Amino acid sequence: MHIHLIINNEEKTVTCTPDDTLLRVLRREGYFSVRFGSDTGETGAAAIRLDGELVTADIMLAAQADGHTIETIEGMSNGLDLHPIQRAFIETGAIQSGYNTPAMVLAAKALLARNPNPTEADVRDALSGILDRETGYVKPVQAILVAAAMLRGEAPNLPPIHVLTPVEYDPGFGDSDRDELTPDVGDMATQTKTEIRPKITSDIPETSVVGKPEQKVDAIKLAKGNPAFVDDIEMRGMLYAKLLTSPHAHARILDIDDSAALALPGVHAVIHYKNVERVIYASGGQSYPNPPPYDQVSFDNKVRHVGDRVAAVAAESLALAEEALKLIKVDYEVLPAVLDERDAIKPGAPIIHDEPDAIDIHDAQRNISHHIEAETGSVEQGFAEAAHVFENTYRVHQVQQCPIEPHIAIAYWDSDERLTLRTSTQVPFHVRRMVAPLLGLPVKRIRVIKPRIGGGFGAKQEMLIEDIVGHLCIKTGRPVRLELTREEEFMSSRTRHPQTITFKSGVSADGKLVAQQMTTLANTGAYGTHGLTVQTVSGLRGLSTYNCPNKRFDCHVMYTNIPVPGAYRGYGAPQALFALEVHMDEIAHALGMDVIEFRRKNWVNEGDGIDIAPHLGEGEKETVTEIPIILSNALAECVDFGKQAIGWDRRDDPEWRNVPGKPHQKRGLGMAVCMHGTAIPGLDMGGASIKINDDGSFNVLVGATDLGTGSDTVLSQIAAEVLGVPLEDIIIYSSDTDMTPFDTGAYASSTTYISGTAIKKSAEGVREQIKERAGLMLDLDDWSGVELRNRHAWAPDGRSVSLEQIALHSLHQDQQRQIMHTASFVSYESPPPFAGQFVEVLVDTETGQVTVEKMVMAVDAGVVINPLTASGQVEGGMVQALGYAHCEEMRYDEAGRMVNPQFGPYKIYRADEMPEMGVILVQTHEPSGPFGAKAIAEIPKDGVAPALSNAVFDATGVRIRQIPFTPERVWQAISKQFA
Amino acid sequence: MKPAPFEYIAPNNLDEALIAMEVNGFDGKLLAGGQSLIPVMNFRLAQPAVIVDLNGVTELDFIRPNPGGGVTIGALTRQSRLEHDAIVRDRVPLLHATIPFIAHPQIRNRGTIGGSLAHADPAGELPVLSVALQARFKLQRYDKERWVNATDFYQALFMTALEPQEIMTAIEIPPLPPRTGWAFQELARRHGDYAQAGVATLIALDDDGVCTYARLVFLNVGEIPMVATEAAQLLVGERISAESITAVVNHAIQHEIEPTSDVHASADYKRHLAGVLTKRAIRQAANRVTS
Repeated sequence: MHIHLIINNEEKTVTCTPDDTLLRVLRREGYFSVRFGSDTGETGAAAIRLDGELVTADIMLAAQADGHTIETIEGMSNGLDLHPIQRAFIETGAIQSGYNTPAMVLAAKALLARNPNPTEADVRDALSGILDRETGYVKPVQAILVAAAMLRGEAPNLPPIHVLTPVEYDPGFGDSDRDELTPDVGDMATQTKTEIRPKITSDIPETSVVGKPEQKVDAIKLAKGNPAFVDDIEMRGMLYAKLLTSPHAHARILDIDDSAALALPGVHAVIHYKNVERVIYASGGQSYPNPPPYDQVSFDNKVRHVGDRVAAVAAESLALAEEALKLIKVDYEVLPAVLDERDAIKPGAPIIHDEPDAIDIHDAQRNISHHIEAETGSVEQGFAEAAHVFENTYRVHQVQQCPIEPHIAIAYWDSDERLTLRTSTQVPFHVRRMVAPLLGLPVKRIRVIKPRIGGGFGAKQEMLIEDIVGHLCIKTGRPVRLELTREEEFMSSRTRHPQTITFKSGVSADGKLVAQQMTTLANTGAYGTHGLTVQTVSGLRGLSTYNCPNKRFDCHVMYTNIPVPGAYRGYGAPQALFALEVHMDEIAHALGMDVIEFRRKNWVNEGDGIDIAPHLGEGEKETVTEIPIILSNALAECVDFGKQAIGWDRRDDPEWRNVPGKPHQKRGLGMAVCMHGTAIPGLDMGGASIKINDDGSFNVLVGATDLGTGSDTVLSQIAAEVLGVPLEDIIIYSSDTDMTPFDTGAYASSTTYISGTAIKKSAEGVREQIKERAGLMLDLDDWSGVELRNRHAWAPDGRSVSLEQIALHSLHQDQQRQIMHTASFVSYESPPPFAGQFVEVLVDTETGQVTVEKMVMAVDAGVVINPLTASGQVEGGMVQALGYAHCEEMRYDEAGRMVNPQFGPYKIYRADEMPEMGVILVQTHEPSGPFGAKAIAEIPKDGVAPALSNAVFDATGVRIRQIPFTPERVWQAISKQFA
Repeated sequence: MKPAPFEYIAPNNLDEALIAMEVNGFDGKLLAGGQSLIPVMNFRLAQPAVIVDLNGVTELDFIRPNPGGGVTIGALTRQSRLEHDAIVRDRVPLLHATIPFIAHPQIRNRGTIGGSLAHADPAGELPVLSVALQARFKLQRYDKERWVNATDFYQALFMTALEPQEIMTAIEIPPLPPRTGWAFQELARRHGDYAQAGVATLIALDDDGVCTYARLVFLNVGEIPMVATEAAQLLVGERISAESITAVVNHAIQHEIEPTSDVHASADYKRHLAGVLTKRAIRQAANRVTS
């Protein structure tokens, strides 16, 4: 059928079928800003304006739009002339991956069209249909309020980040400083405030680009909705792939008959265990050699979880591919399944990995993928000597990363007969190395391109679907595209490891820890990918925050028949710190000590060693040989600032605890302290190349993988700082295995620290060459005193040459050479960031509903390279952590089928449900980091769950040792307590 | 995924729509806002052979005050219009106040009142409100029409009195009795989600504070909107007190609801929750009574 649309004021006649959704048609017509997030309208990624109203194109038929007017973000700007809403999104730092930015901008435009003077609540309501997994909605809300002011003709008065005058830290500051902590932001006050409080003023050098809230270098293309993501290209002859996944949690495949599927015209290939070579691998995107076990093949004759791979097809269209799936006959022998790690270890449990060719499974007969043990001192002796011994068991559940852009990859042969993989990945270099043997191609015949990606959070630290599109491309000779559906993203992708954790602690009479033992039973699902390393990190994080002479970690990592856990931002720490920080709270109460003072008495300080670290290196144990010493630590200051900001002393006020007229409502405050790592010591490495252009600008080629975090911006700032140029003179490109130096990838909170140091070293190499050239041009005997600033090289005598003159001189005029330098960096340190996390709750004791009213996190992440992107990391991370603690949960029926693989039933916080949030960046200077920086990406994931649990205890006196805090769980706990 | 192929008919007026349904009713499905239907078609949980799209039948998009009080609302009226309409706000405040509980703005921009009522999701707010308000629905066929009370319309899980060829065209909501207060209470994990349980309540009190009329209708604790007739009757003739409320709550949750366990909550918890919400709703409704 033909339909007539007016899209962005342009009349179009479009051919479609009745069953085409408007999303598919708009993308087919080249409106790539309208994006796929799910088939249910729940993500809002496909939002458009239809006759001025915001609607969701994925749950609307194209035919229904016949004769109507459509607006997409493509119509909102002209070249670099952006709409005020787009500008506001850029200036406030509201864009992270940018995948949902077009939807939010359109929502804002629809709101402001009918309400030019919206309140913050109006803005949050307008955004409430668009899921954002990245920003915590803070900066988008600010952006829309700023845009509203701009459109009303008022001067936008928002500096959303308050960079306060450096102050010497005074631990004794009192309430009089409270005003300064919550500066007046006038009309633009939003629910979140961000502050930077330098702790140490002497060590932090003056900088002109580093430390500034620079706009993201990729912001314009994202604000415009330009085609920048994997799916935003058109390839002639491209085939659509679909996965056939297992309906059974555990089954043997006795036979597959693909003849009927292959007979369907337009179906080009069906691949499965009978026609794909069996090559054993581990799918985690990790350094060579990948940690064991090697327990996967592209297609097996056994399935181990609902959603496991059975076959894949490539066909001329998605509809044909889906038809073909139905025609594949699979003969299953269904086997008994086990879902819980506590059942998997019992004698008689079904054996999940009985294949003979798996490598390095600890004890396959007992479903034990790994057994990890580490001890310092002797806990037995410590417990014997302790005045008190406490032991509690905690359970953490399974959640999914939920990037709004699901996994997607396109494979095609280039003109040199090399296989190109354009894929949404955090680890392009690992993918290239790992996929090669599976496809039977040498590494040199594979190129992996990572364009912009719509969030990853660890789910994409995996070689997940690239082998499938690779196999299908090789088989058909055609470009092949595979995108996971939202349901597949839940069941066939990666998740967070569930764990059952027992903490046992011995404490001396004066409240000092003398022995601490963490015993973990972890659930790695059907495959062991990341199973060793996540659990090792879990042990490290669980046993690092507090000094204690005797520590022990004992962990069994169990196979079960649930969808596969893997890397998820936090990487074992959120599990460990939930248990540890609730346990510490329980001990303090049992001892009658203040919960903060008990922690303070035991937590690590500057100069202390992390004694368990050499026993729990993330990869191979020998990467950390000496006890790492903490060189920067503002944990005490983080806790003090956090206390002030949340109003901790209200705990003593009975009036505050109760709500007048509502005796069933109780308020409480809880806290947790957090300590994370920065990169994997001795393992993570990043490289960067920088070269000068004719006009004195620089290309920066970096393997580091910006997945929306802003790492391209932070890395460019570091280069600009060293080279004495404004940020706009840096043209950064990441990441492409043909074009950029190697980088392990975006994980383990490593990019600013590792790749940032590589960039700094690379820029310093370029700087030396520029200085030398300046010496030549200015006829200096000694060029070592030349300095770079304001796009010029300055001799000590005050003369200067511009970088443009230097570039032209060196490229064209005399003793020609390309000024360029490549450097790489690996660290044997992993300096820990620290944080204090505070949560305020209101508990309805009759219904069990917990409402989180306020969250404050004060973070010591070293020197902050970019306060906009750094605070965005904390805001977004805290909200993911809140989902983990409060409402997100993958749930299964008895047969192991996930019952809520859709947003809605799987609950992610929306803009109108957010608590008030505060972010305080307490700066220290980390000697080992670039410009003093440490990591910030993961620590916001660590403290919300325990702080929430401790707050609920503070409010009700009921201790809940299991997340999430669903109303029913809280109600049951309260009923039990008072029964 | 995308929907399975189907024939698409887009009538331009009610007559055409009625003819289309007369011809295709048994194989076809009416498409109103589509916010529930298209997701299930995307998953191919519904595979109608024919879709009759009502969105061109703009004559069904109206809100009219009725002379004796109350309103009549066209079935194609978008939920967002109900949210912002002064007539609805003044005449049916319970409906007006409850619309924001439904999903989020862009769903309400498409979703229609008739579509939601006919979809008959027991966790949906609008079916419960229609039963609580004793609305009646105009069901039209090509050659006849009838009015069905909301209370009789809902028959079983996702099953209604609507015949295959019929179109719900209008919803008539009568005025409330004098001195009636109202309340809607639900508990969702978060705002905008499907509720784990909920209740709509109407209470009328005389000058002495004695209850003259009570109505309690529950959400998501049975296959259809559950009316607690006996429990409500216990309140009539009584004053609003802790004792009278407890009696009502206990009777309602023990005898007049049938919760089942689902992904969000167990049956026991839903029963408990229904009780807590009812207690609060009765107080809130009673407090809203004005002379």
